[in-house]
Amino acid sequence: MAANKKVSSAEAPEKEQASPILIQMGIFAAILFVSSLISPLFPASFPVPTPVVGLILLYVLLATHIVKLRNVEKFGDFLISLIAFLFVPSGIQLAASLKVLQAEGVKIIIVVIIATIVMLVVIAYTTAGFIWIRKHVFHGNTDIDQ
Amino acid sequence: MISLNVAAEMAVWGKWLGDGLSKTATGASAGNAVFGIFLTLVVFLIGQWLFKISNGFFIFQPLFVGMVLGIFILFLLAKAFGTDTATFYKSAYLPGGNIIFWFLNPATIAFAIPLYRRNDIVKRFWLEIVLSLIVGLVISLFIIYEAGKLFGLSKGTLASLLPTGATTAIAMPIAAAIGGNPAITAMVCILNAVIIYALGDWLVKVFRINNDPIGAGLGLGTAGKTVGSAKALQLGSIQGSMASIAVVVISIVVDLVVPQFASLVGLR
Repeated sequence: MAANKKVSSAEAPEKEQASPILIQMGIFAAILFVSSLISPLFPASFPVPTPVVGLILLYVLLATHIVKLRNVEKFGDFLISLIAFLFVPSGIQLAASLKVLQAEGVKIIIVVIIATIVMLVVIAYTTAGFIWIRKHVFHGNTDIDQ
Repeated sequence: MISLNVAAEMAVWGKWLGDGLSKTATGASAGNAVFGIFLTLVVFLIGQWLFKISNGFFIFQPLFVGMVLGIFILFLLAKAFGTDTATFYKSAYLPGGNIIFWFLNPATIAFAIPLYRRNDIVKRFWLEIVLSLIVGLVISLFIIYEAGKLFGLSKGTLASLLPTGATTAIAMPIAAAIGGNPAITAMVCILNAVIIYALGDWLVKVFRINNDPIGAGLGLGTAGKTVGSAKALQLGSIQGSMASIAVVVISIVVDLVVPQFASLVGLR
């Protein structure tokens, strides 16, 4: 016990060092595996897919300090930096649904563009509204450190 | 003369690819995943290169270029083989494409990291975040529904459009439940992300969305899913964190709200 303590205190300056990349991958794989077991437990009328369960799980693990940022940060940031690339197969998937597109033609594309802009703008403005209410109605603090 | 050469080339390549395809179809060779992976990398790198030499012209966003170029190449190859694009896509591209696609799973989980980095904001503003997403989604649903009716979309297509605030895996079963076509829903979810990826910066500027970093993050996360979250991270840590939480919360809100909305407007 004492020896252990001594070792850990000796390693203290290195505490901030990132975990080896394979360990980080292992943590992601473990979370993904557990999530894939949890996800089917949700009823069909209330689906929660594996990656969403995993996102919540990793957040809870980070918030409870069971997993430290240095354990997952490097691999996680790497994956996020690749998002656009990882999404290319999904985009190319549209090749298989060109027929669906032909059915309603350009109309559907126009409505989708409108829908996307509406979701972005309406939700952003609604949030600004609620923040305004917090500040002016409840006189709450809305200052944010950038 | 040249065209003859090209035709001869095509025939050789065609035989080689055709052999590969038949092996893929019978599951004899997993090595054919290489084609999908290689094509994805090539078209994306071409996109990055075009984006760079055009000084970041929005239509040359690597994801957009990669998608259009990839579909175009598959279309040409399918023509060369005398099959249709969808069949060729499934047999030749999908094995490799699926491998890359799979990594979206851990990548989505990874968004817990930017979310946790700004846990201070989450703790202080969780009520505003949840309320904004619920109210914002309901308003959006009305506008999208009316816009769809205005353009004369069929009931089925309208029902396929409504759940697309959620991630694809949640949106598809909900679309099916309210009388939509899950295939259209999946397509729309992808288009949402591509549109946000291509137009996000411009939209943020035009609508002055970044004046409220929390709203900017929630909006980008809802409209663009994980791709929107990556975009939000470029704006700042708060935006990235908020987009990550939006992906989770909006999916649950869609789960609960969209079926109610559908019966309210008489879609089912």
